Amino acid sequence: MTPTSPSSTPRAIALQVLHKLGTALSVLIGAVTVAFFAQTALPGNRATAILNIRAGQAVQRTPEELAQINQQYGLERPLVVQYLDYLVGALRGDFGHSYQQYRPVAEIIGEQLGATVVLALTAIVIAWILMVVWVTLTAGRGPRVGAIGSLVDVTAAALPAYWLGIILLLVFALGLRLFPVIGGTGPAGLVLPALTLAIPLAGFLAQATRTEFERALDQPFVISARMRGQGDLGVRLGHVLRHAILPAITLTGWALGATLSGAVVVESIFSRPGIGQVLVTAVNSQDLPIVVGIVVLISAFYVLANLLVDIAYTIVDPRLKGAAS
Amino acid sequence: MTALRPSVIDAPRVALTKRPWSLYLSIGLLAFLAVAAVAPNLLAPYGPTAIDYDSALQPPSFLHLFGTDESGRDLYSRVIHGTSQSLLIGIGAAFVSLVLAVILGALAALSVKPVAILVDRSVEILFAFPALLLALLLIAITGPSAWTQVFAVGLGTAPGYARMVRGQILAAKNSGYVEAATALGHSRGRILHEHILPNALRPLVAVFALSIGQSIVWASGLSFLGLGVAPPSPEWGALLDAGRAYVTQASWLLLFPGLVIVALALSATSIGRHLQFYLEKGRRT
Amino acid sequence: MSLPRSARLVAPLAIVIAASLAACASPAAGSGEGQRIDGGTIVYAPQQEPACVFGGWIEQAYISYNVLDSLVSLDENSQVVPWLAEKWEESDDGLSWTFTLKDGVGFTDGTPVNAEAVAYNFDYWVTGGNSTARVWLFGYYESAEVVDDLTVRINLSAPYPRLADNLTQGYFGIQSKDALETRSDEDNCSAPIGSGAFIVEEWNRGQNLVLVRNENYTSWPANALHEGPAYVEKVDWRFVADATTRVAALQSSEVDAIYDVPAVQWKTLDDGGYELERYVTAGRPQQLSFNTQIGPFTDERVRQAFAYSLDREQIVETIGQGVIPFEGNGGVSQSTPGYSQAAADRYTYDPEKAAELLDEAGWQLNADGVREKDGETLEVVLPYGAGSIVNADGAAILQGVKEQAEQVGFVVDLIPVPQAELFAGAYSTAEERDIAVGYWTAVTSGILYINWRPSTPESPNYSNQAFYDDEELGQLILDANSAADLDTQNELYQQAQEYIADHALAIGVYARLSTLAVAPNLHDVWQEHAQGGPTFYDAYLTE
Repeated sequence: MTPTSPSSTPRAIALQVLHKLGTALSVLIGAVTVAFFAQTALPGNRATAILNIRAGQAVQRTPEELAQINQQYGLERPLVVQYLDYLVGALRGDFGHSYQQYRPVAEIIGEQLGATVVLALTAIVIAWILMVVWVTLTAGRGPRVGAIGSLVDVTAAALPAYWLGIILLLVFALGLRLFPVIGGTGPAGLVLPALTLAIPLAGFLAQATRTEFERALDQPFVISARMRGQGDLGVRLGHVLRHAILPAITLTGWALGATLSGAVVVESIFSRPGIGQVLVTAVNSQDLPIVVGIVVLISAFYVLANLLVDIAYTIVDPRLKGAAS
Repeated sequence: MTALRPSVIDAPRVALTKRPWSLYLSIGLLAFLAVAAVAPNLLAPYGPTAIDYDSALQPPSFLHLFGTDESGRDLYSRVIHGTSQSLLIGIGAAFVSLVLAVILGALAALSVKPVAILVDRSVEILFAFPALLLALLLIAITGPSAWTQVFAVGLGTAPGYARMVRGQILAAKNSGYVEAATALGHSRGRILHEHILPNALRPLVAVFALSIGQSIVWASGLSFLGLGVAPPSPEWGALLDAGRAYVTQASWLLLFPGLVIVALALSATSIGRHLQFYLEKGRRT
Repeated sequence: MSLPRSARLVAPLAIVIAASLAACASPAAGSGEGQRIDGGTIVYAPQQEPACVFGGWIEQAYISYNVLDSLVSLDENSQVVPWLAEKWEESDDGLSWTFTLKDGVGFTDGTPVNAEAVAYNFDYWVTGGNSTARVWLFGYYESAEVVDDLTVRINLSAPYPRLADNLTQGYFGIQSKDALETRSDEDNCSAPIGSGAFIVEEWNRGQNLVLVRNENYTSWPANALHEGPAYVEKVDWRFVADATTRVAALQSSEVDAIYDVPAVQWKTLDDGGYELERYVTAGRPQQLSFNTQIGPFTDERVRQAFAYSLDREQIVETIGQGVIPFEGNGGVSQSTPGYSQAAADRYTYDPEKAAELLDEAGWQLNADGVREKDGETLEVVLPYGAGSIVNADGAAILQGVKEQAEQVGFVVDLIPVPQAELFAGAYSTAEERDIAVGYWTAVTSGILYINWRPSTPESPNYSNQAFYDDEELGQLILDANSAADLDTQNELYQQAQEYIADHALAIGVYARLSTLAVAPNLHDVWQEHAQGGPTFYDAYLTE
């Protein structure tokens, strides 16, 4: 997560990128491994579960019934074989077939991924807008405004998504009827779920940014900009903000992963389609190929997001840039 | 819910000294909750599961401070009686998380190279799993219960702390006084014991306070999803879960338990921040 | 507040309403005002999304009922009427049934609905195609033979005069043989090919399932309200798990009809002008089965004491707000043919009697108000399928059961079991639980056979949740199943229920409901009579 000190030669940079990719890959293989073996530790007999889910009855099953399912899903093979088979498949983007839907997991996830990614990205964008506006307005404006500003930051950051979501739903959808109660995938259905994720995130980013912002306000380059006659807002947006948002950028890479998992809660509250909904349903019904597929996918996202953050960091941070050139 | 991992890695340091009222308020709330946890009967007028069908779904009143639920149970009493369980789960999870973090962090920073790299990679892998997913995986394996919740939240949040511990130890290891001690020929064990660990672990006191609040928020979230302690337990997340079905008729069933969770999380954060501030001041002087 | 009293007044009323609603489910409800819209889309919000359209789960039967036609249908007077079969006949020895199919009916893939396809479906169900159809046919079904193109004969090993009644359930929908044989499992799962009023157009998992009208529909059941293709062009099944959200979506006109109306919202919707439909599911009610093999409930007196300790009626009426009917019978529910009122009335709230019985059985009260015997406390494990078999109202009712049983000295471990664990077999053995909760929809009291057939080593019955392997009870039910005339059959089924009640093997708690709330501009949605699923064939929208 921390930016590595850049080297000057292209060869060194290439090596560094290779190293990062290697790390990313090993993390992913590790994630697949952990997720796969976690599912084998699940209680009960998997073939029984598959049959019962399909029948909606919780009963024991006869050996003949079980044998058929075991054979169909290759559950009687040695675990190591199942694992290797799975790993090779996963690297090709094949996560097996859902026990319940008979369909490739990759296809199921593919269908649902879009809605969740849109939700997560929208939430991050809204969080940034809220955060930038709020911090620019309230940071470094004397103790009283600052106190209110940071109180709001801290409170917003402490709001649990599951509670905030229900309150927003209750007030704006059920009470005032401003938004649909069944989110769906349209823009109107996106507002409340995205806000639910964005508000705590904004508060959280604002905490990190505010400190930096106040520190940057006292920097020489700010004073010189003011002396050149630049207006307060101009200075804040043009110079201070650029310096103050560095920690927030780092945190955003992490936030993408966290927001994707926050989507689990939010999608369930707002009846919104997405991988969160699929995941909860799958956990509830032990449709393990789906659970593992989603877990691996989110981990991959996290790894990717952090690679991107490393890159963004080098672009935004003038000090690092200076060092590199 | 979002603000977990980085808040301890990159804990933003806000100037705190001038406004101690927030600290007093936080300590006051925690003291109240401590009493509620230890001796709920002092504060709660009714039992936690005392059903009274004649007063079902009543709004807040002097008789029922937070209103009543579908079985006529007094919500205020249930919140009070649920405190011990909610706090225990939170403290337990924070404890599990820190113990794991110290072990993993220390191994990654101090052991011989292949082991260190292995641990480091493992932490990295665990960190790649969003905490909620780790918790979900664990719950899927063991089934939901209070204990699972403690370990799920603890395990889910440990990798972040482990990275922090590792960083702290490495920083301490490379600091001037350790170099000096090494130059003086002090033994490895002595250096570790006298210099590295105290300096690396001191910030954990504050982190522990911060993480209790967060752990409670997380654990309640699991109960809310129906993956933790289940109704009719008065654990706060379970109260929220149970209240969901009545949200349009009896919004108080959601409002009050949620407010208590938020208030507790804020108090724990506030106390954690102050601790952090004083501990750092202590180290500088 | 005097809710219980008013609720008590409401209760009998509710049954009357239920009856009139049941009647409403037939043509009467169709007197819609406003102009009928030609075509249009009905948005319907049920609670659970099944994995496949066709299967052994009731949620699947509800969907497949609109896509697949069955041989026969059940009308509002519980009479079996023609659907794909024009007529049927039971042989004199009761060992074979001959169904004559309508001529000229085709599946939506163009293949004909003929005897060969029907025979193929019977074999498909019993070999794993539908686990619930399988248990219904188990022990009786021998073979299905093609007599001629439109005549199929079902051979049984013992007489079963109510076979046609059972075949009205959605588990017995007829699919294209060609489709079953040649298409992938995936295709047959997500879009089975039948001859029904609607065809599966698309399934956006996690969101909705879209059914489109079958323009060439010719095989409506005899109890349908009109002829020809369905009125509406599409039905959009939009899955919304949260009950509050479903109600709000109906109120804000985002959906036209919802399933499973929470009791607490019933009055609000009624006042708001929504049409409410309530079907009291026949078959096994939500009941408590006691473990008669291991633990304290092996003693009949302890089982009876548990029953006497509960004021089930009060609990159900408070939580159920007069909408959920109390059901005292542990065998079958009040809407099932052959229901015994005597069995239902066997136990009323009597804590003194409960205490007496427990004293007699040697369980003494200790200082903590808990019963003990030989140093062991009277602790019983009561797991329930939370969110799957028991909904939120049901969970609240079980909490009341726990509270009241504990008043006489039981300790009840009420354990909500998530669907995953439940279906993986958690708490399914006699060692793991003392009480089992659950319902099972059925058309006849023949459900008693499924739930009480004694287990044998060769043929274990895992649906016998009391683990009560009793020849006397088993024989009563077997005799009832094969009894030639209806009165004898009902009499025998009633005896079986009374046997269950007398020995306190299972006690009823409440009758499972299938409820719908329908917007004022949607008409003639009816609940089919076998299981209470919504039927959209006759439904239409008005301006």
